[in-house]
Amino acid sequence: MTDPRAKGDTTPAIEVEDLTVAYRDKPVLWDIDLIVPPGILMAIVGPNGAGKTTLIKASLGLIQPAAGKVLIYGKPYPEQRKMVAYVPQRGSVDWDFPTTVLDVVMMGRYGLIGWIKRPGKKDRNFAMEALDKVGMTSYAERQINQLSGGQQQRAFLARALVQQADVYFMDEPFQGVDATTERTIISLLRDLRSEGKTVLVVHHDLQTVPEYFDWVTLLNVRRIAGGPVQEVFTEENLRAAYGGRIGFLHPKATDKTID
Amino acid sequence: MEFFDLLQKLFTDYTLRTVALGSAVLGLTSGALGTFAVLRRQSLLGDAMSHAALPGIVLAFMLTGSKAPLVLVLGASVAGWAGTLLIMNIISGSRIKSDSAMALILSVFFGFGLMLLTWIQRQPNAAKAGLDKFLFGQAAALLVRDVYIMSALGLIALLFVALLWNQFKLLSFDPEFGKSLGLPMRALDIILTGLLVIAIVIGLQTVGVVLMSAMIVAPAAGARQWTDRLGMMIVLAGIFGALSGIVGAVISSNTSHLPTGPTIVLSISAIVIISLFLAPNRGLVWAWLRQKKSRRRIRMDSVLRDLYLLASQHDDIYHPHEAAAVDLMSKSRGGAAHCLNNLREQGLVRQEGAGGWSMTDAGIKQAREIVSRYGGNAS
Repeated sequence: MTDPRAKGDTTPAIEVEDLTVAYRDKPVLWDIDLIVPPGILMAIVGPNGAGKTTLIKASLGLIQPAAGKVLIYGKPYPEQRKMVAYVPQRGSVDWDFPTTVLDVVMMGRYGLIGWIKRPGKKDRNFAMEALDKVGMTSYAERQINQLSGGQQQRAFLARALVQQADVYFMDEPFQGVDATTERTIISLLRDLRSEGKTVLVVHHDLQTVPEYFDWVTLLNVRRIAGGPVQEVFTEENLRAAYGGRIGFLHPKATDKTID
Repeated sequence: MEFFDLLQKLFTDYTLRTVALGSAVLGLTSGALGTFAVLRRQSLLGDAMSHAALPGIVLAFMLTGSKAPLVLVLGASVAGWAGTLLIMNIISGSRIKSDSAMALILSVFFGFGLMLLTWIQRQPNAAKAGLDKFLFGQAAALLVRDVYIMSALGLIALLFVALLWNQFKLLSFDPEFGKSLGLPMRALDIILTGLLVIAIVIGLQTVGVVLMSAMIVAPAAGARQWTDRLGMMIVLAGIFGALSGIVGAVISSNTSHLPTGPTIVLSISAIVIISLFLAPNRGLVWAWLRQKKSRRRIRMDSVLRDLYLLASQHDDIYHPHEAAAVDLMSKSRGGAAHCLNNLREQGLVRQEGAGGWSMTDAGIKQAREIVSRYGGNAS
């Protein structure tokens, strides 16, 4: 297989078409279309219950969508699985599980190692390298219940790094982390971008969107707006997504006050 | 009876050896597989499975007229497996939560099994005798061929665990991530659950459907106390399970009218209690001691600070105060005299005859540190 990124900018890294997800009768995501060009950092923002996590999970096939399809570099997701890495919310697992940080990071290799085989020296090196990138080498042999929230998040990021993917889906990596971790994640995201990777991040903090991200998608069950931050991160779009409850925000390119 | 006599009997007495070996195999397998069940928060599933196995045992006998262990084990497996599938489908396909779904299936299957058992007892058929032993188990009736079957099944289950180690670990820790990697997590779930069924049916003849869940949950719960590694936890749980099997078999063989199954369960319970209290790090005794120590540390700091605050109201920082005065500084906690004695042993305060207590230079230095760290308000 030739490197799909070699085709240039014509093929989007992620392409979501008509994605609809419903829990019982209630639609959680309605007819989402999304085109993400390669090499950008994109935030997904929206109020609670807007379907941000659902969008990621449905894109990765973790939730069965009612309709729609997801293409990664022009091909259906199941064929391109090895190009995609996933960072779930850190609250989704039991951190008292009897295992080490290194072991958790190594889990990112399980899809590549194959059945029955055990992780080898190469996998271990990848894992240590990833831990180094998130500043956690000295924690490699620690039991995971000794980690702080920020360290848990960095361990999860390292686990995604060892997948050696081209497209990253991250669910709330900035949720409840300390300043050190926030800085680590930011520099990590920029490194990934400079390597030409595409990163899609569910994000909660509207204030930091213009600083951290290139593109943004505003979501509230439907896709409200999406595109480069300067173009779509406007008061009007935010009001449409959040329903006027955004008094704390002062987006640029507007001098109107927000009620 | 002396310990060595017991040990000798374990190797020479044919019946005891068979029973002990069978119980050990059952403990080893259920301990190892139970570890996954406990880590996946499926402890109750084991209970539901073993109860659900009862109608399978009776039906297998009714259909074949045979009490051959392989036939009954097969019946138990099918029923236990069917019950588990129903539970999984109820959870995923309805709004009923997992605890309710398990309780529902457990009682329906077990009730049906009891009904069949009662009905069959009334039938004029001599061969039916002994089926009711599956309720509480009857280890004394274990034959060598039963032990062979148990060992073979146990070996198969453990072999699967060894082969699918990575996948089972991922399934237990983060199944959604596993799915995102493209691993067939649903199939792995079904396989691991199937292995748990095997571990349970191995024990039914010895421990019985009612108490079998203890052999799934208890070894793992005990093992978790001692280790922070999954591999070691499984090994320990297997050892605890096997040990309690042997101990239970030996104790019950030397005491008349002491059933083996409940004795095994009580043995593993003893191991769990010891682990709960005494294991390093996680043991309750150590946690309690640590807490007590840190409380005393904090109280001593606050007494020293109070003495410092009292003394700093005088021109002479070495001005002595009585313990009762220090006690008054803190509204709720007494015992200043005791703390002052401890502080004296550390050379931080000294007693000046009847006049009371004053700080040494080292004490003043430390008190200033405490005040600068925690503030100078009276406690």
